[in-house]
Amino acid sequence: MRDALCASEPGVGLVIQVVVLCLVALSAWLLLRVGRISLGQQAYFGIGAYVAALLTTVGQWPLLAALLAATLAAVACALLISWPLLRLPGLQYAVATLSVAELVRLGLSGWRHQVPQAGGQMAGPDGVHGFRDIRWLFEHQVGQTEYMLWALLALGLTVVTLLLLARTRLGLAMQAVGQDELLADSQGLPVQRIRLLASALAAAVAALAGGLYAHQLTYIEPAIFDPMLGIHAVGYSMLGGLATPLGPLLGAAFDLGLLEATRLFEGWRMVLFGTLVAAFLRWRPRGVLDEALLQRLSDRWRALGLRRSPVSAVPGPSRDSTLTS
Amino acid sequence: MDFLQRSLDGLLEAGPYALVGLGLTLGFGMLRRVNLAYGAGAMLGAYLGSWLHVRLGWPALVVLPSVAVATALAGLYVQWLCFHDADRSIGKPQRASMTVSGADAREVVALASSFAVWMQLEQLSVNLLPRHLNPFPDFASTQEWTLGALGLRPDRLLMCLLAVALVLGMTRWMQTSRTGLALRATADHPLAAHLSGLHVPALQRLGFVIACGLSGVAACAVLALEGQVTPMFGMWMLMKGLAAAVIGGLGHLRGVLLGAALLAVVEAHAQALLGPLGRDAATWGLLLLALLWRARVSRISATGGLHA
Repeated sequence: MRDALCASEPGVGLVIQVVVLCLVALSAWLLLRVGRISLGQQAYFGIGAYVAALLTTVGQWPLLAALLAATLAAVACALLISWPLLRLPGLQYAVATLSVAELVRLGLSGWRHQVPQAGGQMAGPDGVHGFRDIRWLFEHQVGQTEYMLWALLALGLTVVTLLLLARTRLGLAMQAVGQDELLADSQGLPVQRIRLLASALAAAVAALAGGLYAHQLTYIEPAIFDPMLGIHAVGYSMLGGLATPLGPLLGAAFDLGLLEATRLFEGWRMVLFGTLVAAFLRWRPRGVLDEALLQRLSDRWRALGLRRSPVSAVPGPSRDSTLTS
Repeated sequence: MDFLQRSLDGLLEAGPYALVGLGLTLGFGMLRRVNLAYGAGAMLGAYLGSWLHVRLGWPALVVLPSVAVATALAGLYVQWLCFHDADRSIGKPQRASMTVSGADAREVVALASSFAVWMQLEQLSVNLLPRHLNPFPDFASTQEWTLGALGLRPDRLLMCLLAVALVLGMTRWMQTSRTGLALRATADHPLAAHLSGLHVPALQRLGFVIACGLSGVAACAVLALEGQVTPMFGMWMLMKGLAAAVIGGLGHLRGVLLGAALLAVVEAHAQALLGPLGRDAATWGLLLLALLWRARVSRISATGGLHA
């Protein structure tokens, strides 16, 4: 049930799993950023995993191309799915994403598409039994360490992209929509289109995570994409902080790295994690790295830079001027 | 005939769904927040009941009320931890957009934290009784009445009657009693209720705890027919309750009956046609359609309020 959320392997495998979960959390974060809570990001994770795995096993595509295609497929699905959901208010949107995700999971559970392979074996999804023998890494002699570097590279690229995005006008517009929809609308921002874009981006990130995950484990089943995954993704973002893409990473690293991997709290992990998230949300509703802390950190950083080189300290347009609501 | 029998079976399944949906819709009506820890709270109560029943050998008639009480207490805890902020809105100037658009950050926060509490309570229950199947006081009868060519389980029928009685009783109580009036006033407009001298936070807490107590009653009724409780119970309860409540219109008490009946009949047919996967898909599909349809009918459905 919680396969994707357990550290099944120590060392390198754990790092890859943390990376995958970080990506899913980032995907949930992107939607939280535009003021929507999605409990259904695991659907795109599943779509990405299945498409990538199908392309490398049945289609014999190289991994990179398969991952790219999986991402695009998830974007297409997200555009199609999000379109009717966009007008729902926040709460209904959350429930609707959950039901879409469950429908996707059930659809994948009912999907059998077996293709005979060269070795006489069958490849492809096999209903509830899942999708076995995704052996691209094995066949192409990619070691776990090398794969870990790939995964870290993918995560790094995603984070840098999101950080850069936050500085553009589009990123600011997303933030404005998340902070106050009505205000953003009255300023002439196309609220629905920005949300659609954010959900497409989020789907792409989740699909990337799915593809990476499928190839690491060589075996996926629809039960992996159950609501617990989406719930954790949202929980990581909420715990880590909504102000920066580093927030979800912090949350995921905390839960998986500290609580799960150390096995200190065997059996009580969920109790502790749940308590922490709820307590945080009650007393610090925007997570550890919230806007105020970020502002303070960046002020301190700027003050340091000022002392070092006064030339570069020309104050640009303040990023956080939209934050004061 | 097969079709009729299936519809009848489905209709009898509506009893549990209506019971489960009632607490959820009442809780939503009071606070305008969906309590995702709803099923988990009832599951904790049921596990406690099972523990009392098996380990301490308490009789069923004591176990059942204690399940309801435990669930209500769990609800109090959930309210304190997750939905506490709802009362902060009193006396604070609040822009209309915050409630209408649904972009209200606190709504998102409450949803997420009730999620967290869901996992917490579920894990607590599993830690209490680690086995997959846990016995619960059993009241099921295998007796079957026949109506011409149709079969009818009397225990299911009793459950349906209980559900109808409970829903109508709650509706009546809401409409006629002074407490019900106060609860409705609080749900409709907290600020106005506050200005007319009602103690809004206490009323919100009361409404929420009543809703959770009802979920405990629902859990008792459902599990007494099953004779056992599994770790899937929390999820089952949330899913079915949410579907029945949303189809009936969140916050609308009598709508739950209609929603449950529709859900149960569609599920029964989907199961016959497509198997167990089809049954689950029908639940979620119906939930999705109901959400989309409701959004189309009224844009401001998020403002909720409690309708008897």
